[in-house]
Amino acid sequence: MSTQESDGGTARVIPNWDSCIDCGACEVACQRTWDLPPESDRIKVVALAHGTEEETSKPMQCYNCEDAACIDVCPTEALFYRDNGTVRVDADTCIGCHYCAVGCPFGAPQYPDETVPDAEESSPLGAKSDGLMDKCTTCEPRQEHGLEPACASECPTDALIFGTPEELEEKMEQDGIEVPFTDEAAQIIFGDDAEKITGGS
Amino acid sequence: MSVEVTFELPYTQWDWQVAVYVALLGLAGGAYLTAYVADVLSHRLNAPEYGRLASSGYLIGLAGILIGPPILLSHLATPFRAMLVPLSMTNFGSWMTIGAYMLGGLAVGTVLMFAWTSFGKARPSAPEVATDGGSAKAATGDRTVGGVRGIVSRVGLLDTIDTVADTTRPSGPARLGLGAFFGLFAAGVLVYSAMALGSGPYDRVPLWDKTFLLPVQIFSGLGAGLVAAVGLTAVTERSLGRELQTAALSGAGLLVLALIALVVTVLALPAQVPEAQSGVDNLVGSYAWLFVGVGVVVGVVVPIALTAGAALGQRRDALAPSGATTAYALAAVCVIVGKVALTLSYLLAGEFTPIVLPM
Repeated sequence: MSTQESDGGTARVIPNWDSCIDCGACEVACQRTWDLPPESDRIKVVALAHGTEEETSKPMQCYNCEDAACIDVCPTEALFYRDNGTVRVDADTCIGCHYCAVGCPFGAPQYPDETVPDAEESSPLGAKSDGLMDKCTTCEPRQEHGLEPACASECPTDALIFGTPEELEEKMEQDGIEVPFTDEAAQIIFGDDAEKITGGS
Repeated sequence: MSVEVTFELPYTQWDWQVAVYVALLGLAGGAYLTAYVADVLSHRLNAPEYGRLASSGYLIGLAGILIGPPILLSHLATPFRAMLVPLSMTNFGSWMTIGAYMLGGLAVGTVLMFAWTSFGKARPSAPEVATDGGSAKAATGDRTVGGVRGIVSRVGLLDTIDTVADTTRPSGPARLGLGAFFGLFAAGVLVYSAMALGSGPYDRVPLWDKTFLLPVQIFSGLGAGLVAAVGLTAVTERSLGRELQTAALSGAGLLVLALIALVVTVLALPAQVPEAQSGVDNLVGSYAWLFVGVGVVVGVVVPIALTAGAALGQRRDALAPSGATTAYALAAVCVIVGKVALTLSYLLAGEFTPIVLPM
């Protein structure tokens, strides 16, 4: 299992579309683990192809993009890359302008009105909310204890897999998991490692 | 099989407050630039009416700057933090940062240019200039500029501000040189009024495509700024001479260019950017009342008809001064309302680009 100290690239949570049964366990695991307010959706099961015969619901969260649009557009540099490549928000710098939400291709930024408990103490775990930007943190405190992010850990069908690009490539190959991203999306998320995920498709 | 993902609409992130802010800063940038041109013409042609138009334009710009940013701040989670621009806005790759600094420069320039053209015995375009050392009020008679001189006079600060303005005002060419410098900020604000929506690395909202949005915002900002200044000059200065008529026709011309840019957007944007089709459909469908009805008809077509009609009517002696004043004033109100409606309709009609995910 990867941790934030991994040197094989940034560890991320990505979906296994075929396994998701829309049970919402990932949302509950995230909120319960970090005692988040009910309106906080660091991971959210969203409807895809809404209104069509192919309508289905799948989990989406911040992918900690290699080429993060949120960082590009943030006027106050509240969003930044950690040394391990994950994207974080500094609650003391964010002004809650929502520019990152308009820039993010995956709809990850959110702005809960309620306060996220203990956010300051576990900084840079996440924002304090109160209308400021908040997002998935890949549960770094759990990783420090050798645990996977709560959503991936508690998903009953292994619909969320976690690891560095190399580890994800290996898991996808081993379990026959279909590539969950288009080339464009994979390039945004993984940058030079995109081919490891898409298999050069 | 590929499935498209669409999350929330842009309006759930940026609402009417952002629309009003973007519209008013476009108006402010356009008003400053057209006022500056009038200022230069006043100086070169020795035409006081252009000078009075310039004062009105700077005042319109000042009003946009005073009203727009506070409305944006009310949208933010931490407005006081955002107000510390030099400390908080540090990412110069973000158009919001660029825009904030441009707006700051324009604010300084607008205050100075308005003060120098509207106050002081030796202000440009003063109706009369005292040479006997009399008071500023005596020197300028009872005439007011944009009504502001009257207000300032009533609170007893006119002589003081007149003195400050006369003391600090550079010579004509130097003042106009400074005005040109601040004009760069005004141009930047005008561009920002488009790039505030049309920037970002992935063009998430195809309706806000900057290639099409830039001409719309630039021409509508310039046209709205000039027509609003003409209306204000007509009402407060009772100044309806040939220079004002020329300005009115110029304003109408700029609005015609804005109208062309809007028509081109509706007709050509979906062909150039197919993902923008749904946004354009929203503009002319769900939000047609706001976009077509208020934004285009009330905000562009009616002001074109009123200003051009009044100016041509005056030149043919077919329109009484009171009728022309009413037409210019009505056009000014319409163009400001329409500018806000246009921006608001762009925000309401925009949709995020769906990310196609293989399923």
